[in-house]
Amino acid sequence: MAKIILDRLAQQFVAGEILETGSQHGNEWARVAPAHWRAVAQFLRDDLETALNMFIDLTCVDRLGRTPRFDVVMHLYSVDKKHRVRLLAGVPEEDPSIDSLVTLWPGANWFEREAFDLYGVRFAGHPDLRRILMYPEFVGHPLRKDFPKEGRQPLLRRLPGSVD
Amino acid sequence: MAGGMPAPVVPRANVKMVIDGQAREFPAGLTILEACQRVGIKVPFFCWHPGLSAPAVCRQCLVEIKGFPKPIPSCYTPVADKMEVVTNSKKVFDVRRQMLEFTLLNHPIDCPICDKAGECMLQKHYFDWDARIARNDGGKVRKAKVVDLGRHIVLDQERCILCTRCIRVCNEVARQQDLVMAFRGDRQLLTTAPGRRLDNPYSLNTVDVCPVGALTAKDFRFSMRAWELWATPSVCPGCATGCNIEIHAARNVIRRLVPRLNPAVNKYWMCDDGRLTYKTLHENRLAAPMIAGAATSWGAALTEAARLLGQARDKSPATLGVVLSAQMTNEDIFAFSRLATECLRTDRVYLVGAPDGWCDDILVSADKNPNTTGAKLIGGPTLRTAADLKRDLEAGVVTALLLVGEAVGPPDSLQTLVAVTAHQDPSVAAAQVALPLAMWAEVDGSFTNRQGKVQRLYAALAPAGQSRPGWETAVRLARALGAAWTYGDAKQVFGEVCAKVTLISRADWGKPEMPVQLRFANSRG
Amino acid sequence: MDDPSQTARRVVIGFGDAANLPEDDELPTESMPLNMGPSHPAMHGTVRMVLEVDGEKIRSADVQVGYLHRCFEKEAENASWTQIFPYTDRLNYVSPMLNNVGYALAVEKLLDIDKRIPERAQFIRVIVGEISRITDHLTCLAASAMELAAFTVFFYLMKAREWLWELLEELSGARLTHSYVRIGGVVADLTDDFCPKLRDILRRCRASIDDVDKMLTSNRIFRDRMDGIGIITRDDALGWGLTGPVGRSTGLAYDVRKDHPYLVYDRFDFDVPVGSKGDNFDRYAVRLEEMRQSMRILEQAMDLLPAGPVLIDDARVALPPKREVYNTIESMIAHFKLIMDGIVVPPGEIYSFTEGGNGELGFYIVSNGTGQPWKCRVRPPCFANLAVLNKLLPGLFIADLVPTFGMINMIGGECDR
Repeated sequence: MAKIILDRLAQQFVAGEILETGSQHGNEWARVAPAHWRAVAQFLRDDLETALNMFIDLTCVDRLGRTPRFDVVMHLYSVDKKHRVRLLAGVPEEDPSIDSLVTLWPGANWFEREAFDLYGVRFAGHPDLRRILMYPEFVGHPLRKDFPKEGRQPLLRRLPGSVD
Repeated sequence: MAGGMPAPVVPRANVKMVIDGQAREFPAGLTILEACQRVGIKVPFFCWHPGLSAPAVCRQCLVEIKGFPKPIPSCYTPVADKMEVVTNSKKVFDVRRQMLEFTLLNHPIDCPICDKAGECMLQKHYFDWDARIARNDGGKVRKAKVVDLGRHIVLDQERCILCTRCIRVCNEVARQQDLVMAFRGDRQLLTTAPGRRLDNPYSLNTVDVCPVGALTAKDFRFSMRAWELWATPSVCPGCATGCNIEIHAARNVIRRLVPRLNPAVNKYWMCDDGRLTYKTLHENRLAAPMIAGAATSWGAALTEAARLLGQARDKSPATLGVVLSAQMTNEDIFAFSRLATECLRTDRVYLVGAPDGWCDDILVSADKNPNTTGAKLIGGPTLRTAADLKRDLEAGVVTALLLVGEAVGPPDSLQTLVAVTAHQDPSVAAAQVALPLAMWAEVDGSFTNRQGKVQRLYAALAPAGQSRPGWETAVRLARALGAAWTYGDAKQVFGEVCAKVTLISRADWGKPEMPVQLRFANSRG
Repeated sequence: MDDPSQTARRVVIGFGDAANLPEDDELPTESMPLNMGPSHPAMHGTVRMVLEVDGEKIRSADVQVGYLHRCFEKEAENASWTQIFPYTDRLNYVSPMLNNVGYALAVEKLLDIDKRIPERAQFIRVIVGEISRITDHLTCLAASAMELAAFTVFFYLMKAREWLWELLEELSGARLTHSYVRIGGVVADLTDDFCPKLRDILRRCRASIDDVDKMLTSNRIFRDRMDGIGIITRDDALGWGLTGPVGRSTGLAYDVRKDHPYLVYDRFDFDVPVGSKGDNFDRYAVRLEEMRQSMRILEQAMDLLPAGPVLIDDARVALPPKREVYNTIESMIAHFKLIMDGIVVPPGEIYSFTEGGNGELGFYIVSNGTGQPWKCRVRPPCFANLAVLNKLLPGLFIADLVPTFGMINMIGGECDR
């Protein structure tokens, strides 16, 4: 039902930019080369046939053991066409960085901050990339698979007069 | 390969056949079950085991072969040209369910109290292939629940699914016919052969191969649930055979040792004595460095040890001896030999070890030390023996000793004794400085077995108390004595060992292995 | 900060008319940082707003969340599929059944059993889900009204919410943390007198909601505080991913129950209220009307409720009945494997979405073929909804912040997870 999205992607982009597509359990998905993340997202938003104008979700998956280690996963929806797509981009562990989509959808702001906070993936061009769920002095990126479930963080004390 | 079965007479060329509609090619001599395993097709089985003969008694592995009216056991039938095998038809699935239903018909509802729960093949196959509720509303056949079979094993006859794997282990591996099946039908029982007990030295392997919880080890039963165990690969330190094992530990305590497949060393088996070697890891450990019997810090103990050894060396290196044990890892032996030669400037390096014991032609070596070969290769031809040490001590030639590894009954003639040891033994009481040594299951290292194979140990536990690996203690002693050694981890030491000893120069340190929790892992059966 | 000695200032004393001051003279002002929260009566679910205010006007706002972060995803990665249900209860804790249902649907799709869920179970899921939606909106309106000093409204709506929660407590054992849904259905059938009780409660709820409607909708003070404040446009809704009552108040007619029906929602006759101006009042009105529509759905669901089992009959997914477990080895094994290993979900990924109390509640689940998920992400609707506040607040008065934030209905458990 959302096959039109994958067709349009195949028409617009070449094999090195869209790496793989598929459909599973009724979800259409496309794997994008990280260098073309922004271009693909913008095309899907502006193209009249896909019209994926609503930003739904952005997160990361830590596929520990695979190279590249992280997958940035985004879900987009079209309120007009009522179809949706999942975009994935593999980001390596040594330099986990990808373009920010805040200028395309302002809602991506907090979701990208959360992905940075919990996985350590940096979003180039994000206006305010800081932690959102963890406190600023937190050490590490907790949702990574090698981050232990239980442990201790350095205790903090606020000095009087310190600014937030 | 199906052991114990006469090789079928087939041409040497590969066999071309069809499995589940796909054309496949296999070397001649494989059974259908082995062929399916090679291509990733799952076929359940109970009585087949890759290291034993295949009697086809359980009938769980039945598959359909075109041209045969009834389903055929795949564990026994060799692959043949133009054979068409179907493993995923409705009939095959039905047959599997029916066989499981028969097997479960009289099986006691023991899962909550059965040791095998969590690694039980019956649970696994029921869940994967059956999952239907019971049709049997009547009572189950009752048999004996706690039968003491021998030195190590307890039998629960009701749980036994009559697969005869244990009988074949005794017959084919241990070569003693200790177990038999008695009676027939639903009264059939596993029992010891007339006049015999299950006391062969490989009896605990029957617990490993038993698909259910019928045979349980007295040592392990009721001690820990399978899914709480973390498995780490290692090598048994019981004798020079070096059977490959898995250490199963929970909460930093080893619960049991089980064999790991190595076709060249121990295949699927290990002896009972080897399985119990883990007990010494948790008994009577030296927890902290000691100076004259009083616990102290590592820094103070190292300084004092260096002072004493340096004193002895400066007086006369010929009176200073270093005793190494054939129970130590290659890395430890290398580091201490280097310490002896470079820093202590003595050539009196002795190799001692546990005395010889019984042996057989199956797995057990007479040499009860895991690393004699490694020690001799690294120590070189100038290594002295235990007899030399005894003579030198009695003659008073050696008055200062650095004692590493296992204990030597300390003679009173010693003026200086620095002991690097794992247990609180008499040498610790007599030593001026005692430094705690981490044992084989707590370190990354290697042993060289009697065949000359270098086999890797992985650390399964944190070192007890404040003990440290031997090579690390050697490095710190060397630094305290003025040498600038830079080993950061065991792998670097290993690299130098391989560089020095040409015979094992191509040994490989291997990939890092994280302990795997037995939960969600497929049954070990 | 400015050094007072450097700037020449004239201090104006007395009752002079500010409008008569010379053009180039300005009253000296400095903006003040004002911290609201995280411990603040109006900051529901704990949120911190660091405001820079100029008098009463907000110059800039930094909405800081995360104070209720309890590591839902990390815990889910270490729990079996069924053990995650109590965690989902505590996401949007004022509409827990909706979270339960959303998560169960996602896992069932991965297992390919979504077509085999018994019909009665689907109806029950709709019923408890809609009850949860009503409690969600009741909480939102009650709390927001209370902050505008309409205390009576708070008590009326809390009483109504209590009736519903008492009913759910009879059903599941807990007012809030039900854990009532399971993979493959629901854990137990409705209590015998559930439907008559629910009908009676709905009658009384209707009366309460109508009372509140009369008290607030034409209330001059309420309208002045809510009209024209916190306006969100349809484009905002698309750009920020606003769904639910917040998104629909802008005129964006997107409701998952209508556009992508799941369970048995396509059998019911109900309307989806949509606003026009996108201000706080529209969000209030949309929620008020949604409660009435939910009650319509509930009446129809109870009328159409079929008989039958409430849990799928598959020993690989659902626990067998206890009588079987204690008396047959097969069910004992099934129970054992399901508890110790968890349901074996084939490897795959899915994004499954339902209409939560605040909007599109999504579950993005990645399975690696074991009994524990590799990743279990919640797409929280109020995380996206709250983000738009950073854009709305500058220019509002502090007093406007309170109803605006209230009408966004941020539930801390869902936003921070």
